[in-house]
Amino acid sequence: MNAQRAHSSEFRLLAMPLVLFLLVFLGFPAIVNLIYSVSDVSFETLRQPKITGLSNFAAVWNDRAFWQASWFSLRFGALTALLECALGLILAIFLSPLIERRSWLMAILMLPLMVAPALVGLMYRLVLHEFAGPVPYYLWAWFGTSVSFLGPTSAFWTLIVVETLQWTPFALLLFYMAYRAIPTEIVEASAMDGARRWHLLWYIELPLMAPTIVVALLIRFIDGFRVFDNVYVLTGSGPGGSTASLSIYIYEAFFKQGAIGKAVAASVILFAVSFAVLYGLNFIASRRKGALT
Amino acid sequence: MTLTTIRKGSLLAVAIASLLASPAFAKVTVLGWPGGPEETALRAATDVYNAKPDVPENDKVELLFFNRDGFWDKLQADLAAGSKAFDVNLLATYSIGRYAPFMEPVELSDEAASVYGESVLKTMQYKGKQFGVPTDLSMHFMYYRKDLIEALMKDDAAKAKYAEISEKHLGKKLEPKSPDEWTWDDYAATALYFTQAVNPDSPTRYGTVLQLKNLLFNMMVFQSLPRAYGGNWMDESGKITVNSDAYRKGLETYKLLYDAGATPSDSLSYEFAEANAAFTSGQVAAMMQWNAAASDLTSKEKSPTVADVTETVAPPAGPEGRFTHIHGLGFGLNKNAENKAGGQAFIKWLSSKEAALTYARNNGAPALTPEVVTEVAKERPDLVKLGEFASKYGYVMNGGTAAKALSVYELQAKEFTGYWSGQQSLDDALANTEKGMTELLK
Repeated sequence: MNAQRAHSSEFRLLAMPLVLFLLVFLGFPAIVNLIYSVSDVSFETLRQPKITGLSNFAAVWNDRAFWQASWFSLRFGALTALLECALGLILAIFLSPLIERRSWLMAILMLPLMVAPALVGLMYRLVLHEFAGPVPYYLWAWFGTSVSFLGPTSAFWTLIVVETLQWTPFALLLFYMAYRAIPTEIVEASAMDGARRWHLLWYIELPLMAPTIVVALLIRFIDGFRVFDNVYVLTGSGPGGSTASLSIYIYEAFFKQGAIGKAVAASVILFAVSFAVLYGLNFIASRRKGALT
Repeated sequence: MTLTTIRKGSLLAVAIASLLASPAFAKVTVLGWPGGPEETALRAATDVYNAKPDVPENDKVELLFFNRDGFWDKLQADLAAGSKAFDVNLLATYSIGRYAPFMEPVELSDEAASVYGESVLKTMQYKGKQFGVPTDLSMHFMYYRKDLIEALMKDDAAKAKYAEISEKHLGKKLEPKSPDEWTWDDYAATALYFTQAVNPDSPTRYGTVLQLKNLLFNMMVFQSLPRAYGGNWMDESGKITVNSDAYRKGLETYKLLYDAGATPSDSLSYEFAEANAAFTSGQVAAMMQWNAAASDLTSKEKSPTVADVTETVAPPAGPEGRFTHIHGLGFGLNKNAENKAGGQAFIKWLSSKEAALTYARNNGAPALTPEVVTEVAKERPDLVKLGEFASKYGYVMNGGTAAKALSVYELQAKEFTGYWSGQQSLDDALANTEKGMTELLK
């Protein structure tokens, strides 16, 4: 009993720094944010916010731009996650024998991850510029015309491609590790039983990689959903706010419009929805785990 | 090594690190606008000030710069948080109302009025108080290719084609004119004539390049068009007047040029740098651009294709006359400055003739009175035009220095680009803008 009590107090003591850190750096801002979200507050009155109830939430709810930004984030997050994971999976499986023999290839494939997203945005702003960029230059030279990469109809897809090119290596890395971790005896046994390559992939390898695929999809969706840097640098919030993600919406409401209460209310809504989705996913995952055991 | 030695060593290291990390060496810390001619000019002026024997050692100036991206947002956050990291900070006409609560009015030198003139000093005033010294003035020029315009004016067949194009797209037959006599319709007709999508024989791919990115600075470039037709943000009674024929005309002209392909199709993502790149490629005949671009566009090193043939005039005219948006960059005093007296002394000197001329000779763009600008006219002929245009055509919209002026530009940028890109109708764009501005400027 004494040993258990001692263990418990040791645990508390060791956990204390983390708890304090979370309280100071997450708890305090969270409380301030909650207060600001129900207040009439500006940069001049940051220390004396006036509580006004739920008017900020109503303003966000009735703001066309909020729903436009939510729809953009949802589409962007879902599409980039799917594309990156699909490409990452294909590359991981097909390049696996090559990477196994020449491991330095992985270092080269990982290079896009080393570039800051804002720099990627700047780079493509230059690369796609009609008068300075190589891509439109060759399109004009070869075809006498060029695609309007950042025009109103194509900007969304250009952003999707830019994001996918940068983050596919992340998915590739995860899937390659998962693929390599599949026990060889299972694969060999299946082969001896006459499984063809396609069957092996579909019925053996992909199911074994499924947890990694789900995690990768989730991580990439979250990253895509909260995208800011490269989109903001490349197109700003786009004509009429057409490429404003939720992060950009919150940033612009806070800094550009000085609507602090509205910006914080939007971030509280975002937090609540994210929490509900993650909690739901966790609940489903734990139930499935329970069913399997 | 004894414990005492270690302690002494640690203390010494902490002391050195603290000295290096803090701005203690900077007796007066000035936060400037980084990475452009303004930085070069400020550095030169600061060197002159620091070398003066009557400036006490603890009032010497040290400069501080952070990134230009998001500069105003970061400055706002710093000022609101009561930052003491700088004593003097950059200020812009359109943001005075926003920063005034965190700044203090300043006293300028007795020479200030004769050096800058009252109208330029006003660009740094808010509610009747002087909040800064105006070091740089920004405005717009119409940049054009004189070789192309001269060729057009001499060629009868080209004139006929020009008339045909203007009648088809603008509904009236126009004749080519010298850019200094252009109305906005002449500009539009010229832009269409020099567009290959409209006139396959055009020597340039595009007649103009419009900066249509959803960005507040692009709205400043646009405003001079509706202003020439009598447009304003609000009337004397405070009623928002943006939903007007003047704005309708301006927005429709831009839309017509964009839809006709007279500006690159990616123009909806263009701002200052992209427009300059388009013009320097030699594929654009004319454009409205900030005066800050003049030195680059006429530099043989930076713009070899167009440097010799680029000319500037004031923006085209409308029924109400010619107008160019003006705003100033300057320096004001942080309310939480640690060395307020030193900061005030530097600002006072910065408004003197000596400082203004130093600033002008080192790439700055101060708007100087005719008497003062003559002293630097040979080295900086562009400053003569700057002063002349600013006094003749410069304007600030009613409400243009309000606390939420920047938010108004942001709102217009969003709504107007929504119209130009075809995402909403002109009526909706104007109605949304009027509604938002009524809320922002109430």
